[in-house]
Amino acid sequence: MSDLLRAPAEIKYAEELDWLESVDDNPKPFSWRLSPKMVRLFVLGSERSDGLDREIAPKWFGDRSFVERSIVTLASDRGLLLIGDPGTGKSWLAELLAAAISRNSTQVVQGTAGTTEDHIKYSWNVSMVIAKGQSRESMIPSPIMTAMETGTIGRFEELTRSTSDVQDALISILSEKYISVPELDSDGGENIVFAKPGFSIIATANSRDRGVNDLSSALKRRFNFVRIPVVTNKKSEAEIVRFRTEELLRRHQIELDVPPTLLDVLLQSFADLRASAESAASDDEKLESALSTAEQIGVLEDAILHSNFFGARELTARTLASSLVGSLARRSPEDLAILNKYLHGVVEPRSKDKGGVWPEFLDGGRDAIATLS
Amino acid sequence: MTSTGDTRKETTVSTAAVGTADDSTFRALRTQLHEAATAFADGPGALEGLLLGLVDDVDRAVREPLEIFPVCHHSPASALAMARRLREKQPKVVYLELCEDMAPLLTELRNCRLPVAVQAFASKIDGFPADWAPLSVVAPITEASAEYQAIAYALDTPGVELVLVDRSSDHVYQWDERPTRAADPDAPETAEEEEAALHGDAVGVEIGDLRPRFAELEEHLLRHGKVRHWSEWWHQYVELPLSDGDYNTYRQVMLLIGSLFRRLAPGDTHRLKVDEDRERHMWTRMREHLTATGADPDDCLYVCGAFHAASRVEEFGVHGSDTFEISPRTATVWQHGLIPSSHTAIEAQFGLAGGSVSIAASLFAKNVRRTKVKPYRLAGQAGKTSTAKKRAAAPVPAGPADKLTGFLRRPPVLDRLDEEELLGWSVDIVRAARRNGYLASTADAIAVFETSILLAGMRDRAKPTPYDFQDAAVTCIEKDAVPGRRDVRRLVEIMMGGDRIGQVGYDALPPLARDVHDRLTPLNLPLQQRGVKRALLDIAGRPELGACSDVLWMLRHLLPHGAARPIMGERTLGERPIQESWDLALGTHQRALIELGYEGVSVEQVLEQRLRKAAYGAKATAADVLKAVEDATLYLNSRRLADELGAHALHVLAAERSVDGAPEVLRRVRRLLAYYRTSEPVLPGWIESFAKEGYAHYCTLLPMAFTDDDATVRQVAATLGFLFGMESLALSLGCDRTQLELAVAQSHPSDPARQALLWAARTHLGTLSRTELRERCDELLGNPLVLTAYPRYLSGFLHALEPVPGLTDFVVEAVSNAFGRLPDPVLLPWLPTLISTLRADGSELAPLLIREAGRVFPARLPALDGWIPPWREQPLPPAARPAASGPRGVALLAAHPATCDAAAALLGCDGGWTATDPGPRGAALLTRYPDTATAATALLTRI
Repeated sequence: MSDLLRAPAEIKYAEELDWLESVDDNPKPFSWRLSPKMVRLFVLGSERSDGLDREIAPKWFGDRSFVERSIVTLASDRGLLLIGDPGTGKSWLAELLAAAISRNSTQVVQGTAGTTEDHIKYSWNVSMVIAKGQSRESMIPSPIMTAMETGTIGRFEELTRSTSDVQDALISILSEKYISVPELDSDGGENIVFAKPGFSIIATANSRDRGVNDLSSALKRRFNFVRIPVVTNKKSEAEIVRFRTEELLRRHQIELDVPPTLLDVLLQSFADLRASAESAASDDEKLESALSTAEQIGVLEDAILHSNFFGARELTARTLASSLVGSLARRSPEDLAILNKYLHGVVEPRSKDKGGVWPEFLDGGRDAIATLS
Repeated sequence: MTSTGDTRKETTVSTAAVGTADDSTFRALRTQLHEAATAFADGPGALEGLLLGLVDDVDRAVREPLEIFPVCHHSPASALAMARRLREKQPKVVYLELCEDMAPLLTELRNCRLPVAVQAFASKIDGFPADWAPLSVVAPITEASAEYQAIAYALDTPGVELVLVDRSSDHVYQWDERPTRAADPDAPETAEEEEAALHGDAVGVEIGDLRPRFAELEEHLLRHGKVRHWSEWWHQYVELPLSDGDYNTYRQVMLLIGSLFRRLAPGDTHRLKVDEDRERHMWTRMREHLTATGADPDDCLYVCGAFHAASRVEEFGVHGSDTFEISPRTATVWQHGLIPSSHTAIEAQFGLAGGSVSIAASLFAKNVRRTKVKPYRLAGQAGKTSTAKKRAAAPVPAGPADKLTGFLRRPPVLDRLDEEELLGWSVDIVRAARRNGYLASTADAIAVFETSILLAGMRDRAKPTPYDFQDAAVTCIEKDAVPGRRDVRRLVEIMMGGDRIGQVGYDALPPLARDVHDRLTPLNLPLQQRGVKRALLDIAGRPELGACSDVLWMLRHLLPHGAARPIMGERTLGERPIQESWDLALGTHQRALIELGYEGVSVEQVLEQRLRKAAYGAKATAADVLKAVEDATLYLNSRRLADELGAHALHVLAAERSVDGAPEVLRRVRRLLAYYRTSEPVLPGWIESFAKEGYAHYCTLLPMAFTDDDATVRQVAATLGFLFGMESLALSLGCDRTQLELAVAQSHPSDPARQALLWAARTHLGTLSRTELRERCDELLGNPLVLTAYPRYLSGFLHALEPVPGLTDFVVEAVSNAFGRLPDPVLLPWLPTLISTLRADGSELAPLLIREAGRVFPARLPALDGWIPPWREQPLPPAARPAASGPRGVALLAAHPATCDAAAALLGCDGGWTATDPGPRGAALLTRYPDTATAATALLTRI
């Protein structure tokens, strides 16, 4: 068990990556640690027909072609931009790809309104500059620059949250593949940092942020866009939730069973709430939450932790309902009213018809709403 | 299922391609499969039964004396193998899995540009539930298909007979439990995808439907094939390996796939039953034909879907049992024709991946070039001219019998990388993307090229398939938003051959469509082509265009929106057009025009039928029938039909028990009356009867309408409008006004609006004077208890303008009073109602009101200060009026008697002039009849 709260993918799956590397005899582009086919296999899991001696579990759930297109883009001259709604697994896919290709997924620049060009290129250690002057030694390379120097994958999270002029700093990095440092002498080529083969960038962007800081056309054409859709397939969604929950339980060293019936209740509730949000005429009639898969995992995580630490170490429908209400009710009274309507309009008839855990789920939801109201 | 080899041993198998016919043909394969089943399923059992059953099916089909040619729809490999086989074998009879009733139409295919669909259509149905009508079955035919090769060969080769053996269109519906005539839910619905709707809501039949019916099997195949959809899997794992394969391999592989899908088809027992019945039908028909003609099975070829080739029904084979009885057709009359089809329509109807039919077509063309096989093509077929020349039948080398073992053990075929082709695609897609608003450049072409190869490499293919290329193009060119109408995926589809839309040639059109095109010839427009054509008709300058205009108006009435759309010009009763301009898209709506041809031989006939159908429909109201009368006059100029429908309108009206349709009836009758009065010497008999009967009918309904909550004020007003408007005509025809007066007297509405309407009616009839009406309104305004209801009375008065337009000045007065005297809390909430009433119901009445208000109110602002409304002006005292002094005018008459004499002479009055008695008026009467006065005197004196 790692002593990290959340180990990056290359540490978490180090053993698996080592093994894959050892059996990989396909051609590898540049300095990639795995061949494209093995990268795909690492991300999507193995099939019996792959003929491997051991089973590789899938780590990202979605259409195969998205992963293939992403890998191929990284092997080409262009950067990869994963775009999609919040909670669709863009960052997770980016991390897995970076871990599989270069065994380092931590070279990350987080895009925010406060991100500057220095965060993308380099900055200076001021004390060292005063002491020794400007040199490569006193320069602090950004994660992107480090990736260039080592020929690995750099990541840029939430690209569209940073301002357009900062985004454009990526243009020269992606086309010329070097960063010039005008502060340094040109003697010996110290003033230019060239990218080594294997360098590429995986950026992620939230499609709900469109129009805030739009990408310039010049930058757009240096990225290949791969749009990751929201998972609407119930089967895939169940897989994702189960996978992430197991991971969570392992991480917290919690021994708790998640009954399949409760998982169904959770998936069904989200499906109902999504349907209601789609038919809503105005924003007031739908929950503020995007109701993504990530939020489902959040609800389950909350319920599990609550049951483990404050409950009888058993996940119940009541706890699940109360964490569902607690997680989704962000605005009062709008969200509470919608949840109240949902509980009485959908869950109550269902609990009468089907029984099972639904009545308990209904009670839990009612209590949670009463507490919050 | 055991091998049928032993039972068939007595049959001499002379077909060259079939190979040896002993049980050892597939022995090696059976042994291998047995071992495989033992290894994978922990012992022989179900799996072995399945695997060996597959071989049995193949074996059985291969041994059949009548050569079975298994096909798959839209498979270039099937088409190519068919062309090869036909040239080699030169069969004398070709049996084809296609509805048997469609046979006569196939020769017309040569007049069309493919793809087109053979259609069987029935609007008058007998034997099916009425709500199924119209019934429509379509069988689309593309050029890159095996069935087209067979058809072209059979029709263009002398001495060859083509026999369609599948069940008739009638049986398609007979055997269908739930007709799936609803549109495919996945079918595109946007306007830009109108090509997808070319088949309308017809039931599609297709030769060689071959797709796993077991969802898990399809999912498994897709996952392991690393492909996204079925068409791609088929392309990769069947098309490519088979395109260069010999005939035996092709045949056995197709039979194997057919057998596999058949054996793994659980669930839908009805569907399987229909399939089996079709097989029974086909074999029964073939045996009948063989018996009737004495044809040798060796000279025949049976073309059917691979699914049916692996059939296990008793009736299978030329020696099968004759136990199947073909049920008789229903009495439904079926019409047949060809309609245009398109690749998109075929994909939408049969659930194929977008672009797959286009890709199949381009692959077929490429394979034809590469393999130098000469495909068959109907002589005179529109499109590219064929240079194919028939070769002499070449002897076919008898290949090794078991082709399956080798095929199944072979690794997937790796097609060579065609760099030139891929480069061409990459450049083309960038150009197409630029035209569609993408900021794509040469750099993108390079990236697409590179990405395609990388993607294909990841998917274990040496050569990128069109689907890999599509993915690469999307990856490199598609950004966060689609700038134009089409996204990159669609652009690739278009580029890969695009959507080909077929066209039915003039000679293959039904008489009605040909007649339409002939009659529109003076327009000098290429109306057979797709797209919108603008027609300008200067009818005043070129009177012959008047006939074109007539046709166009009828087409507008009959065809869907957009086929013929007038831009300028309208057709109303009693008006003749001078100039018109039209947007015509007859080529685009060719199917609709062709389907019109099933209903009659001319547009006039079809229109007449439609009008009759509308008028005699079970739910037709009097207003509907009057509309049909109007249309018959407007478009057909048919007095005969108008009179007939008009007489029917009378019956329909008499049967109506409410005034719901009164506004529409009133509007139409007024229009028709106005037309007949101006254009005909005498009114048609039916409209006179209509006025007379309508008068009596509405008189009867009026009292109930006034109190019926379901009838709106507008409807009651329209009823009154009919009564008052038709009164003079009705009275002249013998109606009695008392009936109306009684009806009004019987009306006792409680609703304020209707009450106002009743007052207006009584004013019109003279039973309520204006002064009294004004007093009643003043009372309402003065009574605080009913003040709030005053606006509703006003609504009634507004509606009363329709039947009593003479009240306009009074309504202006009432509205002005309301504005002047109603308190704001009552007035303001009512204003929106006033406006909406005037806009919705009173669009014709508002101008009346405005004109009257303009007359009453001062035109300029300064004049307003000293203005007194006319209704507040003090009436002149009676004294001020000039006193009546004697009989006015009488002196004038006596002074100038000539006019009166002339009129009297004309009327035949013989009496002359008499002198006036100067005495007091009435005194003479008293003198002449004294009895009354005497009696009165006696009475008075007695008291």
